[in-house]
Amino acid sequence: MERIIKLELGRLNVHLPERRISLREALSSPKPSVRTRDGSTHFFKREELESLSKLLPETDWDKLQLPILIALDPKLGRGAARISGEPEARVAGKILNKRAAGELLIYRPEVAALRRELPTTTQYLFM
Amino acid sequence: MAAALAVSPTRMELMKLRKRVGLAQRGHDLLKEKMDALVMEFFEVLRRIQDSRAKALEQLSKAHRALSNCFAVMGTLETMQAARETKRELQLEISTRFIMGITVPAVEVGEVERNAVARGYSLHMTSSELDEASREFERALKLLVELAELEASAFAIAKELEKTKRRVNALEYILIPRLRGALKFIMMRLDEMERENFTRLKRIKAILEERG
Repeated sequence: MERIIKLELGRLNVHLPERRISLREALSSPKPSVRTRDGSTHFFKREELESLSKLLPETDWDKLQLPILIALDPKLGRGAARISGEPEARVAGKILNKRAAGELLIYRPEVAALRRELPTTTQYLFM
Repeated sequence: MAAALAVSPTRMELMKLRKRVGLAQRGHDLLKEKMDALVMEFFEVLRRIQDSRAKALEQLSKAHRALSNCFAVMGTLETMQAARETKRELQLEISTRFIMGITVPAVEVGEVERNAVARGYSLHMTSSELDEASREFERALKLLVELAELEASAFAIAKELEKTKRRVNALEYILIPRLRGALKFIMMRLDEMERENFTRLKRIKAILEERG
């Protein structure tokens, strides 16, 4: 059983990218995608990238790293999540109508709303 | 409880067990977070399936109505002949996206609606009703591809959800209580041994005082 737990814990974050890419890189790429830790490719939908580009001034396109990570940490309490990074928090804040300063703490209904708006450009991170 | 885990009541074993409980608890918390997130994703996909299915059904009924008109105007055999001549190709881009390690299909459909020339049937032998019916079916096809993508996603999420729930339950109701039981057993046994030792020492002291 412990072997399974360790395996599961190791498997929880395999969907995360080896390297995140900036919004500018994603917009300029013909097939915007990132390579994940398990070697597969995760694609971003262009319409999402375009809606993100409208939420941020062009000077910040290099700063916004994709996918935006929604960190689920049991220490925050069940259902709470954190979005780190200034441009990432700002974008999520604009979508959710919340004020964000460097980091954004969101709760389950807000996580659902954010995932609904950005299904391919957000990913869960288990801490 | 302790017999099930076959533990010996030593301090070393106590420390090891505490570590195991910590790991199991952490695994349980994280898997529960994953389960919550999966439930959320699942309901979101279900909501989209409902919308998508309603749209697809409405479009299909429109398409069938247009096809009935076409049968009436052109005749069944002629319509079937035109259908056989039609080019059957669709530009699809199938890739994957990930929801917490689950691979779900992401299908991007190219332009489905074609003009009458691109469809491939003879233009002077067919009526505009056929064009109308074809257009309605092409629209329906796009909606059906979207629906298929969503249903495949729901299926994959449901499978993963079932697996995760089984693991969370195994941790919550079997492993963690068993480990806690063993922990309690060792602590009680160690306390008992300490009390025995204390009593023994007191007894020895009393005997030595009697002799002295």
